[in-house]
Amino acid sequence: MDSRDAAIRLFVYEEALAGAIPTPAQIGVQFSLTPQEAGDALRRLQDDHDALVLLPGSSYIWMAEPFSAVASDYPVLSGNRRWYGNCIWDALAIAALVGDPCRIPAVCPQSGAALDLEVRDGELVRATGVVHFAVPPRRWWESIGFT
Amino acid sequence: MQLFRSEEDIDEWSTHTGIPVGARFPPEQLWELATRWYDDRFDLDWGRRTVEERQAILDEVGLIGAFWHLR
Repeated sequence: MDSRDAAIRLFVYEEALAGAIPTPAQIGVQFSLTPQEAGDALRRLQDDHDALVLLPGSSYIWMAEPFSAVASDYPVLSGNRRWYGNCIWDALAIAALVGDPCRIPAVCPQSGAALDLEVRDGELVRATGVVHFAVPPRRWWESIGFT
Repeated sequence: MQLFRSEEDIDEWSTHTGIPVGARFPPEQLWELATRWYDDRFDLDWGRRTVEERQAILDEVGLIGAFWHLR
């Protein structure tokens, strides 16, 4: 990964943590690139480095794992800030990266029961439910959306 | 990678969706995995971990057995 692509990757994560995954145009402004050039960089980060996942058929970021650019069933709340994880694993990871007290108001996909998790002072202080991984890790990246 | 209310809900979900049950474990163990797996994402020189490094993390947090083998 060249130094500019590395800087773009880190910028994406910093923006995601600040509240929103940036678009190719916003990345272009930050790095004095055209949106096309920024999109090319994002494609390299996806295809060559497994650093990001783009929305199919576009240059827009879908996942900068653990962050999701689209709403999911795994929101992470801290004060008036909100992020979305791609799954329960990613939601916990976001809570760890945020550092501030976080609540994850998950919902059981079978029963619809509310399953609140809380992270505070670097610890999972409230946990409930059972985690299920349907896909073994050797196959996680075959279809990352399903995983 | 989902969070269910109970093991019974996972079984019912599997029957309903036709997706086989994989691995189930407590959220506390997933917390350990989440903090360890993603601790390098804000490093400027981040690079995807090798298979051996990823396997070591799974082992460290006690996710062991055939389901968790990366090769």
